[in-house]
Order: sequence, then C-alpha cells, then structure tokens
Amino acid sequence: MGKPYILLIEDNADDVDLTIRAFEKNHIANEVVVMRDGAQACGFLFDSQRAHTTGWPALILLDLNLPKVSGLEVLQRVRAYEETRLLPTVILTSSKQEEDLLHGYRFGVNSYVRKPVDFNEFVEAVRQVGLYWLVLNEPPPAAGGGGM
Amino acid sequence: MADAALRPDLSLVLERITDGFFALDAHWRISYMNAQARKLLHARAECIGEFWLDVFPKARGRLFEREYHRAMRDQRPVQFVEYSATAELWLEVKAYPSLDGLSVYFRDVTSRIEAQREVERTTWRQQALIDFGRAALAGATFEQTLLDAIELLREILDANVVDLYHYDRNTGTFAVTHSMGWESGASLELAQPPLEHIASVVRTGEPFVCSDLRIDPRARSLAQLERSGVLSCVTTLIGTLAAPLGAIVAYQSQTRTFSVADVRFVQSLSQSIAEFSSALESNRLMSEVLESIHDSFVAVDADLRITYVNGRMARYWGQTPAEIIGTPMTAYAEHFDAPDGRVMQLFKEAQRERRSLTFEQHFRGRWYEVRLYPFGSGVACYVRDVTARRNEQERVLELNAELEQRVGERTTQLELANKELESFSYSVSHDLRAPLRAIDGFSQALLEDYGDGLDRRGKGYLHRVRRAAQRMADLIDALLQLSKVARAPMAFAQIDLGMLAGAVASELSESDALRAVDLVIEPGLGARGEPHLMQIVLANLLGNAWKFTRHTENPQVYVGKNSEGEFYVRDNGAGFEMSYAGKLFGAFARLHSADEYEGTGIGLATVARIIHRHGGSIRAEGAVGAGATFYFTLPG
Repeated sequence: MGKPYILLIEDNADDVDLTIRAFEKNHIANEVVVMRDGAQACGFLFDSQRAHTTGWPALILLDLNLPKVSGLEVLQRVRAYEETRLLPTVILTSSKQEEDLLHGYRFGVNSYVRKPVDFNEFVEAVRQVGLYWLVLNEPPPAAGGGGM
Repeated sequence: MADAALRPDLSLVLERITDGFFALDAHWRISYMNAQARKLLHARAECIGEFWLDVFPKARGRLFEREYHRAMRDQRPVQFVEYSATAELWLEVKAYPSLDGLSVYFRDVTSRIEAQREVERTTWRQQALIDFGRAALAGATFEQTLLDAIELLREILDANVVDLYHYDRNTGTFAVTHSMGWESGASLELAQPPLEHIASVVRTGEPFVCSDLRIDPRARSLAQLERSGVLSCVTTLIGTLAAPLGAIVAYQSQTRTFSVADVRFVQSLSQSIAEFSSALESNRLMSEVLESIHDSFVAVDADLRITYVNGRMARYWGQTPAEIIGTPMTAYAEHFDAPDGRVMQLFKEAQRERRSLTFEQHFRGRWYEVRLYPFGSGVACYVRDVTARRNEQERVLELNAELEQRVGERTTQLELANKELESFSYSVSHDLRAPLRAIDGFSQALLEDYGDGLDRRGKGYLHRVRRAAQRMADLIDALLQLSKVARAPMAFAQIDLGMLAGAVASELSESDALRAVDLVIEPGLGARGEPHLMQIVLANLLGNAWKFTRHTENPQVYVGKNSEGEFYVRDNGAGFEMSYAGKLFGAFARLHSADEYEGTGIGLATVARIIHRHGGSIRAEGAVGAGATFYFTLPG
C-alpha cells in the first residue's frame, strides 16, 4: 500500500458514500477501507494475518450505532489491544447524546464529531478531521505508517 | 331457830353483822329479824310473829317463796341472787333450813349486779353493732339495714318508738321515712315542724338527749308528745354537718336519764348507717360506671377470687354476676384464656409485681385488648373486643404493602418507559438524521456533479429540498430538547435571573453583531430554580425577543419583575394577536410564517414545560406591532 489508509466503520451506505465524497472534495487521497458493522471491523482489525499484509490504518472513523457490535465496543477493544490502542480514532456520528459523548471520551476516543445534516458543513467537518489527523498530527511511532 | 330470840348472845352477833338476817319458824312466821334486814326490807319491828308473806307480799309467787319452800322440803340450804321488789334491790340470799324453821341471810348486791349487767349490755351492744355492720357489708339492702337498726334500738335501748329521717339535699328538709312504735296516727303529728330535736342535731352535729320532754325548755313543742306516750328521747344526726344524710330519734315512754353508753350506741348506729350509705353510694356509682362501660370488667382479690364482675363479662361467660362473684378466676379460664394459660399467668404477674399490664389476646377467632391494674391486694381487669381495629390495622398494613408493591411496579414501569423514551430519542437524534443527511448530501452532489444539466428552476428545487432537510434537522433537535427538559433531574439552586439573562444576551449579540438591541435588565432578580433549565428559558425568551425585533427600529428588550412577583421579558417587536395567546405555548405552534421569522415552534413549549416543572405559571401579553411580554412565576 502507498499512503496509509483510513478505516471507516459505518453501516449506512449513504453516509459511506457521502463521507468518501467529502474526502474526495477535500482532496484527501488516502484509501478508505469500509467496514459495515462492528463485528466485521473487529475481525478486520484483530486478524493477525491481515495486519501483516495491510498494516494499521492511519485513522479510524467510527460510527456509534452499528449492527452486531456497537461502535463503543469496537472502541473499547481497539483501546484494549496493545497494538491498536494508540491508533487515532474519531467518532463520527449523528448522536450528540451526552451519554455517548461521555462514554466515547471515557473509552479514550481522540475526537468526537457530530455529522451535520448540511452537506457543506459535513464536507467542512471531514476536511478538518482529515487535515488534522492525517496531515498535522504526528502519529505515535508504532501506529504510524503501514506496510509493516 | 325459832328460839334465837331467847339467846341474847346470838342476837348480839346477828345484830352486828352487815348481812340482813331473819328467821322463820316451822309455821313460816317471822321469829327474828335484825336491824339490817328491817332497814333493807323496810319492815316494822312489830312484824315478829307475823306470817312472812303478809310482811313481804311482793315475794309471793316469786323465786324467794319457791326457794325457801324447796329448802324446807329438802332440808338443804339454798343460795340465789334475785331482784327484790320489796327492797328494790338485788339481793344475794342464803337460806339454811332446820326442822324448826329457816334462817335467811341476805346482802345487797345491786351495785355488783348493775355493773355486771352494764358490762353485759355493752358487750351486747358492741356485738349488735358489729353484727349490724357485718350484715350491711354482706350485701344486705339498705332498707333491711335500716329496719335492723330500728330493731336494735328497740331491743337494746328499750326504745318504744323509733323515727328515721331522711335529709333531702335538694329541698334541704328532713322527712320521716321509717316510723315504728307510735300509736296509730301519732307519728303524723310529728311530721309537722318545728322539730326541735332534729333542728338541734342539724345545727350542732351533737346528739340531742332529753330525759323529760315535758319540762325541757329546749324542746317545748315536743312536750305534746306526752299525749302519744313518749317522755324522753335520744336524737342523733346520720352523716356529717357538712353532708347530713338523716337523723335517728329513739323515744321512750318513761322519763329516762340516758347513759353515755346509751347515747354512744345510737351514735354508733348512725355512723354505721352513714358508712353503709356512702359505701352503697360509691358502690352504686362504681357499678353504674362498670356496667355502662363498653369493656368487660372483672376484679379479683389477692387469691384471684372474683370480687366483682360486670354484666357484660358475666353474659359472655353465660352466668349471672351473683353466680360468678366469689368463685376463683381460674374456674372461668376456658372462657377467656389461651390453651397455654397466658392470660392467667399475666394476671398472676400483675398481682405479684403490682404493675399494670396491657396486652392483646387472640381467643376463639377474635382479638381482645386486656388491661390489668393492680388495686388493693387484687387486680382489676378490663377486656375490650378489638377485632375490628385489628382487622383494620391488618387491612391498612395489607393496603400499604399492596400500595408499596404497586408503587414499585409503577416505578419499574416508569423506569422502563423512561428507558424506552431514552432509546426513542436516541434513535430520533441518530437515525432520523441519517436520511436527512443523505437527502441533503445527494442533493448537493446532484447540484455539483450534474448542475450543468439543470436550469435555474431545477437548481432552485434542489435548494428547497436541502432547506427542507435542514429545517427538519432543526425540528428534530428542538423536539429532543423538549423531551429532555421534561425528564431532566431538577437540581434547585439560588439563581440570579438577571445574570443568566445577561450571559444569554451577550451570546445573542455576538451571533448577530450587526444588530444593536437596547437591553435593560432590572437588578434584584433572584429566584430559586434549576440553573440549566432556567438558562434554556431565558435563551428562548430572549432569542424570541431578538428575533421578533428584527424589523423594529430602536429594538428594546426589558427583563424585570412586576409588583405581583412575576418575572417578565418584554420586547417592542412584532408582537402577536392576543386571541392567539393561548396557542403560543403548544408544540409546533407558530404565529408567523417561516419566511418572516424562522423557528421550530417548540421554543415556547419548552419554556412552558420548564416553568411548570418549577411549579410556576407562564402567560403572554401582546398586540400586533406593539411587542410582546412573557410573564412567569417561580414559586420555589
């Protein structure tokens, strides 16, 4: 793989397309790997065989309301696992329930972004998230580039 | 002995002895009589030689004659004591017979006999009084007691006539209730006042004693009683001067000097009658009380023997009080006691330890409250059926338990409902927004990627699709807030509405920096409320004031408190028609088009809900083009 990839965990196909479109509009060229539910995401992340070939994502975008395994659970497992616990993870969700915010931060999320309904605002939000986490932010050494 | 006169030496001896002496010859003629005998027997000296019964006719047929004849017949000495009508003395006589005749020695023993008789009489009276009192205690009726008293007076005091007077407390007069011994009709006269003897005892409290009614200056009107055959009397008061009950009058047909003992006897009798009367009275009162109470009552003595039982208890035991009184309490145990004998045990405990005990006892399907009070050396016991109360209590307990369970169930239901609502609003906020985002996002994508293929109108439609999606997103957010304020926990605190309003206003000014709104906040707007919720209230009210003064020149907003204690937010903006004032506070209620003034129509509904949760009220006043004022109260 060339550029480090983005892992997008999102069950809503519309949101997947809109998010990818937002990345494109912001000229963020990183590959986006999409997982459609929590279980699939965990399978992907914690499959040692796969980790060997594709390496770790540069950024995880995590929806909360996911089938099978919830976003918060995925977050907990990411943070519990030695090799993934430092991965930059951003919750990108419709919810702004206080509880979700609290749990998200308690389980160690790096950012919590609420998806605006206005697509222009959404594009702007994705732009800022991408800019910050993929360009400005220096990733931790172990979780940095792929191709391990 | 007939020759005694012939022997001067003997005669000398006989004259000198203190005993009376006389001798009778074989023909019952007096042959000798000494001086002492003559003196005592009032005999003439010339009686020598006369037949003795001619000299002492009063001895005829009496003990004297019988005894002397017996002595002569049997030729044995006799000795006796007898009252001599001749001497008017009690004489102790010794007679010694011989074939020649009879020698009789006698002496005056009157004082000894009198003393003896006085002792006997006193003993008799005392015994009589004791018997009288005992009879009264043994439950004789009062009437019987009075009749006994009259009988005693007649018997022991030799009273010929006895009157008993009753004192009428209401009229303050004495009236005869019992009258014994009068010749027919005579007592009627007596009933007429003045009754000086009665008046006297009532005045002084002392007995009135009169030995001769005919000459007593204290009782002139009683002199007439001579006609009815009475000459002397003893009168005593029954009761005390302070509380007289009546009087006793004992009359005698002769003049009589009543002895101290006589008077004391009548007094004692009066006292016994008074005591009996007061005992009766208190008994009557007590038994009236005990019969009228709703409790069953039984009293026992130190040996747990029943001394009193009221009618209620007796009926329950199936016997009459008379049958029950006097029997041991244990004989009725089956009528009140538990199989383990608990009640009897507690009786003994109350009796032994001299302390009151109260307990409830279940017996044959009913509940009884039993109260035991030690008194004297016995125990008084009150029993009350408290089954109804117990049942009530149990029902109340059951109801309470049921209520608690119901409350518990409701709480659980409510918690569940709240949880459901929680997840509902979660899905509202999360799931309803996703499609909106898609609508907006793909409309935008369409505009961007295929905008060239659309004319202005087509692009306009897509913009309207996007605006609608936006608006719906706002509505969802507003609804979420409304449901949130309804459920938010209330953490009351002292707050300054003026300060809150100031903070809200500065945010509003920042977000709309181009506008200058003249804001006045009155000082002293302290209140008790939920700070976070009150902040939402002011944000909405001030937000509205800002919004609706958008087209007003010199927009003014005033936050204050009126004389009735209502807080208010007033603006000089667009206002509203008062007839719609009631609709303002409903969800989605709007008086303006979205084009004129944007808004969800939920803000005021949220405000009203918050004020109501504070226990306050809210109202609005306004006129089209003349501004609006929102008043609210915070009773907390």
